[in-house]
Amino acid sequence: MIRTPERFREKEGIDVRIRHEVEEIDAAGGRVRVLELQTGNVSWEPYDQLLLATGAKPVCPKVPGSDAVEICGINTLQSGVEMRMLLDSKSARKGVVVGGGYIGLEMAEALVRQGLDVSLVTKSPEVMSTLDSDMGRLVSQALRDLGVTLYLGETLEAFDTKNGKLTGVITDQRTLPADVVVLGLGVRPNAALAEAAGIPLGEKGSIRVNDRMQTGTAGIWAAGDCAESFHLISRRPFYIALGTVANRHGRVAGINLGGGYATFPGVVGTAVTKICEVEIARTGLQEEEIRRLGLEWVSAVIKSRTKAGYYPGAGEITVKVLAEKGSGRLLGGQIVGKAGSAKRIDTLATALHAGFTVEQMINLDLSYAPPFSPVWDPVVIAAREAAKKLG
Amino acid sequence: MTTNRLIVVGGDAAGMSAASQAKRRRPDLEIIVFERGPHVSYSA
Repeated sequence: MIRTPERFREKEGIDVRIRHEVEEIDAAGGRVRVLELQTGNVSWEPYDQLLLATGAKPVCPKVPGSDAVEICGINTLQSGVEMRMLLDSKSARKGVVVGGGYIGLEMAEALVRQGLDVSLVTKSPEVMSTLDSDMGRLVSQALRDLGVTLYLGETLEAFDTKNGKLTGVITDQRTLPADVVVLGLGVRPNAALAEAAGIPLGEKGSIRVNDRMQTGTAGIWAAGDCAESFHLISRRPFYIALGTVANRHGRVAGINLGGGYATFPGVVGTAVTKICEVEIARTGLQEEEIRRLGLEWVSAVIKSRTKAGYYPGAGEITVKVLAEKGSGRLLGGQIVGKAGSAKRIDTLATALHAGFTVEQMINLDLSYAPPFSPVWDPVVIAAREAAKKLG
Repeated sequence: MTTNRLIVVGGDAAGMSAASQAKRRRPDLEIIVFERGPHVSYSA
């Protein structure tokens, strides 16, 4: 941990009160009701401006047995600490991860490293459903190579418990013995406080904000995983819970609250992760999202190397690029590959922000030397292939 | 803006980034952050 409440108080003059829960907003009266969790004291605190940064919570399936303590959602530092204590406190042998997204993958790797026998269940045809399934398949294989047993296309039905203690995970097709379960089923915005105060909500129940991070209620702002964003490629409101976005939301809200002027233009949906040696990255829209918008597209998938082919340590990289039919506008990109792969997504993310066509990407003056890249960067090779298909 | 007291609900990335940013611009602003958990942001 880099900063403590004391440090915020002393160095920055910000009064941070941990273990204090805001239970209610009185928007008309300009005050919040605060419960001090250690003492049970309740008080009303007046504000001139209020910022809601209440985050998100892991989706908890309402299935039989879901209240067993050995089932963990990971969304805060504290939940990570609790998970670690659970793993340290007993000799857990079998771990089951439910969900194949970022959290699911990272936790599967962590459990394998802790020496557990790990299975992963997801209802999707491949893990990492924020990638198209042809790219997700590469990630599924990386997990299998790590020793994780995958149960793809299976739905969670219940948790098996004995005397309140977790013993297994029941899917629509089998029962998997389990000592510990990690939930990676995504998150939902913590917007109950806002909703109860009549503050308008938007996508997936997140708090609707304007470009300055103001909610629909005067004097109340929202930022981070509880707040809505705007997708610059679909040009529609969008909900995404990521630390990078939360930091940018917070910065914009803070500038405005400090008397300045700033706006948050939106996101293109860029994210990276890794599972052992395999790096995974995505940006923009994936095929299913493009289909739902009623647009048509071409896609190109290419395999290349992370460095010049003859250079020591060159690894495989697969790049997929999606472009709009007709206009050739870049719509999205996905990358799976060895070390040096993931951050190449930033070229595609920048091209998305700039509104580039794949044709415009071909002549980008990108860096090259054998230790870093083939002569043609893999993302440019993919853009060139997509441009060819556009005709 | 004539805000004298800003209350922030939630002390993680968004809340602490905003609090720090606002304080830097307006040192006279009174800022209280309420966090229900035992930790505040570990990366802001």
